[in-house]
Amino acid sequence: MSNGSSIFNASLIYATFRSATPIIYAALCAAVTQQADILNIGTEGIMLTGAFMAVAVSYLTGSWILGVLVAMVSGLVIAMIMAVGHIKYKSEICAIGMGVNLLALAITKFLLNSWLGKSGTFMDPAIAAIPHVHFAFLENIPLLSTIFNDWCITEWLVIFFVILIWFLFYKTRWGLHLRAVGQFPDAAQMAGINVKAMKYQAMAISGLLGGLAGAHLSLGYSQMFTENMTNNRGFMGVAAMFFGGAHPVYTAIGCLVFGFADSIGARLQAYGLPSEIVLLMPYVVTVIVLALSMISKKEAEKKRKSSLQTAH
Amino acid sequence: MKQALKNSRKILLTMLLALGVGAIFILAIGENPISAYAALLRGAFDGKLKIGTTLASFTPLLLTSCAFAVAAQAGAFNVGVEGEAFLGGIVAAYIGINWTFLPKPVLLVTCFLGAILIGMLWALIPAVLKAYYNVSEVCVTILMNSVALYITSYLVNGSMSAGVANSQSLPVTVTLPKILPPSNFNVGIFIAIAIEALMIYMLKKTTWGYKIHTVGTNPQHAEYIGINPKKVFINAMMLSGAIGGITGCIEVLGVHGYFLNNFATGLGTNGMLAALIVKSNVVLTPIMAFFLAVLKSGAMGMQQSTGVPKSIVDTITSVFIIIATMELLFQFKEKKRKVSIADTGKKAEAAEAVSGKGGASHE
Repeated sequence: MSNGSSIFNASLIYATFRSATPIIYAALCAAVTQQADILNIGTEGIMLTGAFMAVAVSYLTGSWILGVLVAMVSGLVIAMIMAVGHIKYKSEICAIGMGVNLLALAITKFLLNSWLGKSGTFMDPAIAAIPHVHFAFLENIPLLSTIFNDWCITEWLVIFFVILIWFLFYKTRWGLHLRAVGQFPDAAQMAGINVKAMKYQAMAISGLLGGLAGAHLSLGYSQMFTENMTNNRGFMGVAAMFFGGAHPVYTAIGCLVFGFADSIGARLQAYGLPSEIVLLMPYVVTVIVLALSMISKKEAEKKRKSSLQTAH
Repeated sequence: MKQALKNSRKILLTMLLALGVGAIFILAIGENPISAYAALLRGAFDGKLKIGTTLASFTPLLLTSCAFAVAAQAGAFNVGVEGEAFLGGIVAAYIGINWTFLPKPVLLVTCFLGAILIGMLWALIPAVLKAYYNVSEVCVTILMNSVALYITSYLVNGSMSAGVANSQSLPVTVTLPKILPPSNFNVGIFIAIAIEALMIYMLKKTTWGYKIHTVGTNPQHAEYIGINPKKVFINAMMLSGAIGGITGCIEVLGVHGYFLNNFATGLGTNGMLAALIVKSNVVLTPIMAFFLAVLKSGAMGMQQSTGVPKSIVDTITSVFIIIATMELLFQFKEKKRKVSIADTGKKAEAAEAVSGKGGASHE
C-alpha cells in the first residue's frame, strides 16, 4: 500500500466531517447573529460553557439528552449576558465578547474545581455520551459503511441544522426581517420591525446553537471535559462564517476545509510530521482561507464598482 | 476634570460590583469572602518575596496593556499581543544563546531589536489584512496566537531544546539583573515604565499620536484632512506588536533566563483586560495592570490558605470586564436624557440612511 492511499481513503471523508462538525455548529452560532449585524466574538465562550454543562449534567444524571438541553440553556444564558450588554448597555461587541469568553473560561474552571472536584481534565465512565447511529443494512456495502455508519446523532443533526438555518434566513418572513435588521437597521425600524427584539432573538438562537456546539464537542466528538477544550474552535467558526458571508451552506463548506486540514495533519503525523506542526495546521489554513476569501471578495467588489463607472 | 472624576467613579463602582459577584461565588462554595480577599492581599504583599512576585507579574501586564491600548487608539482590537510576546521571547532567546560573538551590551540590545522586529512583522499580517481587505483582526490575531504558541513550542521541543525534562531552551548568555531576589522582579520594570511614559507622551503630545487618535475615532475625517488611515492603522498595529515583542524579551531575559514553553500564556489576555476596563486610556491602564497583577499573584496564596480555588480571580476579572464595557451602566441621572438624544439622533440617521439609499439607486 502506498503512502497516498493510506492518507487519502474513504475514511478521510468521515474524518473530515467529524473534525468539522463542532466548527460548523460554532459557525452557525456566529452566522445567526451576523445576519443581524452582531459579530459574535463570544461564540468560543458560549461553546465552552455548553461543553462543560453537558458533561456535568450528563455525568450527574446519566442522561445525555438532559446534558445537551442544559448545555443549550447555558449557552442561551451566556448569549443573553452579551445581548443585554451590547444591545441595552451599548457595550462594544468585541470587548464584551472577549469578556464573555474569559468568563466562560474562568467559570468552567471554577465549577470544575469546586463542583466536580477535579482540575484540568474531567473524564468518567459515568458520562453518558451522545449515541452513534448504526445502519445494519450498510454493513455489506464496504464503501458506504466506512463513510456513513456510526455517525454521532449530533453529526447527522448538523446537516439538518444547516438546512434549517438556511431555510430560516432565506425562505421565511422572520429571516427577511433579520437580514433587514442587519443591513438597514433604520429602514427596518421604519418598516415597523422591532430591531432590538430581532437582535435579542438572533442572540438567543445563537446561544442555543452555541450550547449545542459545546455539547457535541464534549459528549459527541469526545467524552470528557478539559479546561479550554474548545481551543479556539469558536473563532474558527467565526472565520468560517466570514468565509461564507454568513450563508449557512457556504459557511459549512468553509468548515469542511478546516476539518480537512485537521484530519490530513493527523494522518501525516504517522509519517513523522511533528505534533506541533499538525496542531497549528488548522489555524494556519483558517487564516489563509479567511484572508483569501476576503481578498477575493474585495477584488470582486472593486471590479463591480469600476464596471459601474465605465458604464456611465 | 469632571469627566475624569466620573470615569474613576464608574471604575470604582464596577470594581466593587465585580468583587461582590466574586463574593457571591465564594459564599456559594461555603467559604468566607472577607477572609478569602484578606488572604488574597496577604498573598500579594506579605513579605519581600511576595511583593517582588507581584511586581514581577506587573511588568509584563504593564507592557501588554500598553500594547493593546496603543492599537486600540487607532481602532484596532489587537488580541495578538500574546503571540507577539511568544515570538519576541523565542527570538530573544535564540539571539541570546547563539550570537555570543557580540559583546554583552550589544548582545542585549540586539536581543531587544530582534524581539521588536519579529513582533512588528507578526502584527503586520493582521494589520494589512484588516486595513486593505477588511479581514477581522480579532479573528486573525487570535488564531495567529495559537500559531505562534505552536511554533515556539515546536522549536523549544526540537532544535532549541535544552534536553531536560521541561520544555525549555538553553540559558541565555545575557540577562537583565534582578532587583528583589529571590523573586523574579527585574530591571525590565524600568524599560516597561519608560515605554509606557513614551507612549503616553507620543499619544498625547505628538502629531503621530494625534493621527492615531483621529484614525481611531473617525477614519473618514482622517482621510479628509490628509491622513492616510490605512498607513496609520498599520503603524499602530506594528507599534503594538513591537511592545508585545519587548514583553517576551523581558520575560525571557529578566524572569526565566531561558525560553520556557508556554511562558506567555495569559499575559496578552490579561493586558487586554486591563486596557479594556479603562477603555484603552493609556494613562489609566497602568493602574488596572497593577490591580490585575495583585489579583493574579495573590490568587495562589488565597488558594493555599483558604479553600477558594484561584480560578475565582479569573471569574472576578471577567465579570469586571463585562460590567466595565457596558457604557450606559451607572449613568443613572444622565441616562434618560442621553437615551432621548440618541433616539432623535437615530431618527435623523434613519432619514439620512433612506435618502442615502435613494441616492445609491440613482447611480
